[in-house]
Amino acid sequence: MYKAIKVIVKGKVQGVGFRPFIYNLSKKYHLNGSVQNNFDRVVIIAEGEERLVKKMVDEIKKSPPKLAKINEINIHQIPLAHYKEFTIIPSVKNGRSIPWIPADAAICEKCLEEMNDPYNRRFHYPFINCTQCGPRYTIISRLPYDRSNTTMKEFPMCLDCEVEYEDPWNRRHHAQPICCSDCGPTLTLYNQGGKTLAENQSAITQTVDLIKKGKIVAIKGIGGFHLACDAYQEKVVDQLRLRKKRPQKPLAIMVKSIEVARNLCFISSQEENLLTSPEMPIVILKRKREGVVPPNISPGLSTIGVMLPYTPLHHLLFENHKLECIVMTSANPSGLPMLYSDDHLEHLQNICDNILTHNRKIDFPIDDSVVQCDAENAIFVRRARGFVPEPLKTTSNVDHIIALGGNQKNTFSVGKQNNIVMSPHVGNLENEEMIDSFEEQLHHYKEFLGVKEKYMAIDKHPLYASTSIATKLNRKIISIQHHHAHHVSCMEDNGLNKPCLGIILDGTGYGEDGNIWGFEFLYGDAKSFERLAHLKSTPLPGGEKAVKEPWRNAVGMLLYYWPQEGKELCMKLFPERLKEINIMEQMIVHQMNTPMAGTCGRLFDAISAILGICSISTYEGEAAIKLSDYMNRTELESTGEMYSYHLITHTPNQIQLDLSPMIYQIIQDKFQQQSITTIIQKFHNTLVSCCVQMVLKVVKNRPDLNRTVVLSGGSFQNVFLAREIQKGLEKEGFNVYTHKHVPCHDGGLSLGQIIIAAHQL
Amino acid sequence: MQRISLAHGEGGELTHQLIQDIFIQSFGHSEQTQFDSAILAIPSQTIAVTTDSYVVKPIFFPGGNIGKLAITGTVNDLAVSGAIPHVITSGFIIEEGFPIKSLKEIVNTMAWEAERAGVNIIAGDTKVVEKGSVDGLFINTTGIGVMQKQHRLKPEAIREGDSVIISGTIGDHGVAILSARNELGLLTDVKSDCASLNHLIHELLEEIKGIRIMRDPTRGGLATALVELCEDFRITVEVDEASVPVRKDVQGACDILGYDPLYLANEGKVVIIVDSNDKQKALDILKNHEMGKDASVIGQITSCHIQSGKLLLKTAVGTTRRLNRLSGQLLPRIC
Ligand SMILES: [Fe+3]
Ligand SMILES: [Mg+2]
Ligand SMILES: [Zn+2]
Ligand SMILES: [Zn+2]
Repeated sequence: MYKAIKVIVKGKVQGVGFRPFIYNLSKKYHLNGSVQNNFDRVVIIAEGEERLVKKMVDEIKKSPPKLAKINEINIHQIPLAHYKEFTIIPSVKNGRSIPWIPADAAICEKCLEEMNDPYNRRFHYPFINCTQCGPRYTIISRLPYDRSNTTMKEFPMCLDCEVEYEDPWNRRHHAQPICCSDCGPTLTLYNQGGKTLAENQSAITQTVDLIKKGKIVAIKGIGGFHLACDAYQEKVVDQLRLRKKRPQKPLAIMVKSIEVARNLCFISSQEENLLTSPEMPIVILKRKREGVVPPNISPGLSTIGVMLPYTPLHHLLFENHKLECIVMTSANPSGLPMLYSDDHLEHLQNICDNILTHNRKIDFPIDDSVVQCDAENAIFVRRARGFVPEPLKTTSNVDHIIALGGNQKNTFSVGKQNNIVMSPHVGNLENEEMIDSFEEQLHHYKEFLGVKEKYMAIDKHPLYASTSIATKLNRKIISIQHHHAHHVSCMEDNGLNKPCLGIILDGTGYGEDGNIWGFEFLYGDAKSFERLAHLKSTPLPGGEKAVKEPWRNAVGMLLYYWPQEGKELCMKLFPERLKEINIMEQMIVHQMNTPMAGTCGRLFDAISAILGICSISTYEGEAAIKLSDYMNRTELESTGEMYSYHLITHTPNQIQLDLSPMIYQIIQDKFQQQSITTIIQKFHNTLVSCCVQMVLKVVKNRPDLNRTVVLSGGSFQNVFLAREIQKGLEKEGFNVYTHKHVPCHDGGLSLGQIIIAAHQL
Repeated sequence: MQRISLAHGEGGELTHQLIQDIFIQSFGHSEQTQFDSAILAIPSQTIAVTTDSYVVKPIFFPGGNIGKLAITGTVNDLAVSGAIPHVITSGFIIEEGFPIKSLKEIVNTMAWEAERAGVNIIAGDTKVVEKGSVDGLFINTTGIGVMQKQHRLKPEAIREGDSVIISGTIGDHGVAILSARNELGLLTDVKSDCASLNHLIHELLEEIKGIRIMRDPTRGGLATALVELCEDFRITVEVDEASVPVRKDVQGACDILGYDPLYLANEGKVVIIVDSNDKQKALDILKNHEMGKDASVIGQITSCHIQSGKLLLKTAVGTTRRLNRLSGQLLPRIC
């Protein structure tokens, strides 16, 4: 029997080869009708044998294009109109939808096959791509997404490419960056002085030889230049650290294949899925002890950030089997913006030995994404390539609002109707170069999305760069408390909008009382919040210096809690710092350059310093990261042992957590030569217990509160804390939510800010 | 008579004695003081006037005391404006019980410093207040200087490429004061740099035509002084961190306290913006003087006539940091 249906597919269905996919299905099942991109959906009309129509629908559901994500599929019976053929009809581009900017995707299997096929016309061509793969976000100069609006406009298609481009049967139908060795970009290898050494295929083989010989080569990729060197050669890794001015921070590696990754690291199926997904992020994996990667790849850690080759060029580097594991780290010196343009060659020459570049321009830089897995959850450490700029839907009216985020791990968010487009990870806004890069990217997003903002949401911290940027732009400013933003960020990430509890464990954020907060128990929603409980404040002698030097934190706490005995403890723990300890004692008494802080990050710092793990941080969070790494190292079942602490109730709405008994016992355990691992386990158990107890105490005083809890703040990158606090609270009957789509650290702040702003206007 | 009593301020015999014994003896007695006001002839059409109050704690510190500071501070304010310091008046507010010996020492230092700077102290005032109303001794000085046409500063001539020079190491005064407050237990022997710079500046102005503007980077330090210059004259100054002279022990103290030497007070330094063609000559003159021996070119003007001037610091690690005025808020921003 003949039948006609109308299928509406919503989700990530545009620019992912959905229309050619449908077109091919229509041929396969002998259907007539049409397919059309319509705002944020694809609309299909299909007429044919009922049995075959059904088959098509099943196939759409079961095996859509790899890049597609179907959120919703609606099927309606419609009257027969007797179409003569199946056509792709032009997109409808106006309407209440936001302009769609596709993300970059790793090379697909079919392209990879073609690239390795000596009889294919794109054999060994490093810029092969199709509708399912290749650069997008990074090459789009303006919208709509057509070739003439990308940096590929400089490469007119050859006849062969044009035929493929126009052919609706072809898997490169309307693949905007389509090209081949006749018409597309080319590779060039330079020496340090800027002299051309080789081109194309020979540039690749020479690059491989140089890396093999222990050289550092800058390689232009999708989102910017990487610095590459042989990850098995300890000496060149040291050299790279020196040049990049990055003594300790872990470096990501790219391995030839998942098999090589498996030799080096433990990989769960969830982790494998992530590693091989079209986004191909860096996945943080637990390294195998017998692995051959030298320890200076990730000093003091049991994990390594691993990614697979995601561009054709990357695959070609591994092709001749000379290399199997290379360091791939962004080519900028630490703390500076990414280098992505050939105008940056001069900067690159200072940091690398050779440069392998190509003439396809990158219009917008983007870093590699970084994710970490905990059981079934993927946690974003850095949300960037592959994930950006997919808009997040919201029920709040965020139109005309821009949220500027925090000062560290900055991202910003732009609101358009009911969509939030979050920027990729921008970085730390500590210097002019980063602030300029931030402003450039913000400008770019506003242009892309056609947004003229009326409101700016910023953090309350008076010294954040965003504060002066917003002031300069002269819009209506809404200042938002740091941890309130974290709280609402996690609510929004989980689609919650009723008031709920939040445990915010964080580094440092500006508190409403002028102190530094970061161990907060909040209750509220986007409209308002209450601070119901928190960690007791202790001095941070030296201010920002104390954040970079965790031992100061420890001294601050010890001298504050035990003015007499604390000093002896300090001198025993840090005998090389006697002079400083004496001075710090006075700084605390006279409150000189000594703000007060009660934060989880600083607590981890103090314990890390006390245990001798890290007393000076060379990268953000180093002390805490190295401390919590001990939790991954043993498979030992936790005994549940813990230290003591006090909950102090001043008023029913203000409970303070006093961890001084724990700190004292940790020091005693250390002096009695207890194993560091045991101490760290007990420390973690204590934190889990006190968070659960604190929440119980809060709801005992306030039975009116909803028993839903969100967990947010940078300290929840510690997967043990997140998992165990969640478990502990769930046992007590709470619904607990953690972050899903945005990072729990300050990279997620702008999401919370924009929602709060929407509700406070 | 060991200590100052309230009676010393009542205007009677004791006051007279105090003035005779201490002030007249040190500052000298001239016919100018026979009237209620000092009357003086000024050899110029144009004069410069400045006033400043000194409340430094502690009153005595390595390298000087409050009295020395009260002279050098006012002398330097006149000198950096391009004036030749001529006369100074000084007012004292003394706490009841202040040791007379200390007062004598302070007044002597002032006299000595004034003589060295070539200025006359021509009028004064003394008030004694109840214990606790002030902390020991406060001094106010007002200075009058003579402007000379050929020494007029030319900020309007500032242009891209002009050099920025500092006359020596920064932060010495700030650290000297901090360590003199025994409370900190900061063990350094850094002396305050407090000194009158008028002779040095006079020589610079005599010899160098390309001096655009000068400032004495006192409270708020070099950074605050430069930010003010940038804003006042709508220029961007780029300072190279590595070329800013800082004593090792000053840097050491800063490292411990978490301070930035760029924001510590100086009392014997001048920052000069000069035509880059004249920078070597200026350095040579400075280095010839004891007070300028550590002088250094620390940066340059990178743009002029901009909407809002800014101060940029090229750091040792190759980044550029924007510096603002001393904010007083020392909150960490790092998460
Ligand atoms: Fe935070
Ligand atoms: Mg002054
Ligand atoms: Zn492909
Ligand atoms: Zn072609």
